[in-house]
Amino acid sequence: MSSVASILFNGISYGVLLFIMSVGLSVTMGMMNFVNLAQVSFSMLGGYVMVVAMQKFGVPFLWTLPLAFILVGVVSIVLERLLFRFFYGTDDLTQVLLTIGLVFMSIAIVTYFWGGTYQRVNMPEWLTGQQELGGFILERYRIFLVVVGGLLAFLLVFGLERTNFGAMVRACVDNRRAANACGLNTDLIFAVTFAVGGGLAGLGGAMSANLLGLDPNFPLRYLVYVLIVVSIGGMGTIGGSLIAALALGIADVAGKYYFPSIGGFFIYIVTVVVMLCRPLGLLGRRA
Amino acid sequence: MRGFIRSLAIAALVAAVPASAQQETIRIGVLQSFSGMTSLNGQQSEAAIKLFMKKYGDTVGGKKIEYFTRDTTGPNPEVAKRLVQEAVTRERAQILIGPDFTPNMLAAAPIVTEAKVPAIINGAATSGTIGERTPYYARTFFAIPQLCRPLATYAVKNNWKRVFVVVADFAPGHDCEKQYLGALAEAGGTLVGNVRIPLKNPEFSSYMQRIRDAKPDAVYFFMPIGEMSIGVVRAFNESGLKAAGIKLTGAGDITDETYLDAIGDAALGAITAGIYSTTHDSKINKEFVSEYVAMNGKSPRIGWVAISTWDAMRLIYDGLAAQAGGKFDPDKFMAFVKGHSFESPRGPVTIDKGNGDIVQNVYIRRVEKINGVLQNVEFETFKAQPFK
Repeated sequence: MSSVASILFNGISYGVLLFIMSVGLSVTMGMMNFVNLAQVSFSMLGGYVMVVAMQKFGVPFLWTLPLAFILVGVVSIVLERLLFRFFYGTDDLTQVLLTIGLVFMSIAIVTYFWGGTYQRVNMPEWLTGQQELGGFILERYRIFLVVVGGLLAFLLVFGLERTNFGAMVRACVDNRRAANACGLNTDLIFAVTFAVGGGLAGLGGAMSANLLGLDPNFPLRYLVYVLIVVSIGGMGTIGGSLIAALALGIADVAGKYYFPSIGGFFIYIVTVVVMLCRPLGLLGRRA
Repeated sequence: MRGFIRSLAIAALVAAVPASAQQETIRIGVLQSFSGMTSLNGQQSEAAIKLFMKKYGDTVGGKKIEYFTRDTTGPNPEVAKRLVQEAVTRERAQILIGPDFTPNMLAAAPIVTEAKVPAIINGAATSGTIGERTPYYARTFFAIPQLCRPLATYAVKNNWKRVFVVVADFAPGHDCEKQYLGALAEAGGTLVGNVRIPLKNPEFSSYMQRIRDAKPDAVYFFMPIGEMSIGVVRAFNESGLKAAGIKLTGAGDITDETYLDAIGDAALGAITAGIYSTTHDSKINKEFVSEYVAMNGKSPRIGWVAISTWDAMRLIYDGLAAQAGGKFDPDKFMAFVKGHSFESPRGPVTIDKGNGDIVQNVYIRRVEKINGVLQNVEFETFKAQPFK
């Protein structure tokens, strides 16, 4: 019984991690119709912000998280103004080629500054080791992941569904010209949305480095997982991304536990089945 | 006047010809991965070669040594095959260091046989791939059995009789699993479970749960250096298995110096079998380490590829010195190399007379913190371990 519970918990925490990493891409891809594969590079950048801030400047881990969010958000808004916005109307292939090129550039840049090796990621004492919770022994860092991930999901859904700004974003997505005509500054709204998406990716990178390791090849290693989450969840639905990420996390961990000989394939089987039954993703909608 | 100049020119030519015949140039092709995830191999190889040539000069046995590098880009047999072909034809390499990775060296074997170009393997470990494939291979790295057998014996000797074996799901992993289980059975230990982890696997908690369920005395890991080796050691610690008193053992790759700092304190206490530690206690090693650090800096730290490239250069220089004066003869070179013994910074090394594979000491090490730096500290030696 306790092994079932801990498999479930580990799966959920892994799913939350996938959610934090991919929700940014889901936002930009679904809301703005822009395929930004460089989102995983933003994640890596967030990871490096965290590591450098902790090691070089002695910033406590918790403070590095908003720092990663803000700095990566700023970087992404700069890139958006200088580069991405010229490609909003173009077809998917152009966007994919442009952004995958950026991914390779980011790998080279990070290698140039911080070298090709893995970075040392040291968590504060209170986030390492295990904690007994309701009779189960759980890893502290994973508890932290689940709490932060849950908070984040709530904030995002609330922000998009209940706030004025969320309404404006949704209006822009549904009909940009009409929204523009109603007096909304669509350029600004898109830029802010893009920055939030980038910042979330950075936050995801900073939070995942402890579990997944951090080196210049980080973007290529996790691009597949992020794309799987976004496509299974359905683009642009935060709820869908969350469900997809949790399902994949649990399927992956449980699959590897119960069927170790095929465990690595489990995540892909789930993907194929979902895509066959629901090509637009679990909660996907497309006009 | 014109006649005088002509005769001068002829005299100069006549003088020049024997001079160039006297000094033959030996070109060494260094085939390593210099890009991508495994680019550290190339970096460390070149660093070791540069240091060696600075220390011992660029002439040996009356021959001038030159080297050139080519990027195999990782385990990529098609690329490696083409590069080896180009190296021996267009670049006229007489000796190769590499190619690295088992698939690459398997692809290159027929070419070096045909071209009669000795190749020193410094970065591929699968057993049965040296003399079995070509008479022109010699290995200065290690063979899988050397890392996988001794720890089984050691574990049982220390009364850790119930062992759980975890290997990465690729050819060297399967090779190692077989070797370890063989040695474990011979020593009288019990296997309480084993699992193979797919490559490119970011999440290890399910495997840690399996280990917990099986309640072993010790776990044995064999993982490729990088994401996987870092991941298992950290997961082992985080999941509380270390705190539960289960011994963490494994092939030395899991605590390789180049990535040891990335693992952090989670690696403390890990017991591994390895061919080289920078803390190896010998005069020749202290000299090697201080010179390497002086030239290349403290980071990245010295890995096994650096030491095996260093020893490859040792073999080449000794082999060329042995045929000083004459023209380079690859068969004589191989005849000298096979059976050659020398003192390496890692300890005594012998190249097997029949096979060309390596015979060397394997050290049991424990990760400890020395002056604030994580180190593999050797505390027991398995002398002259065979390559099969």
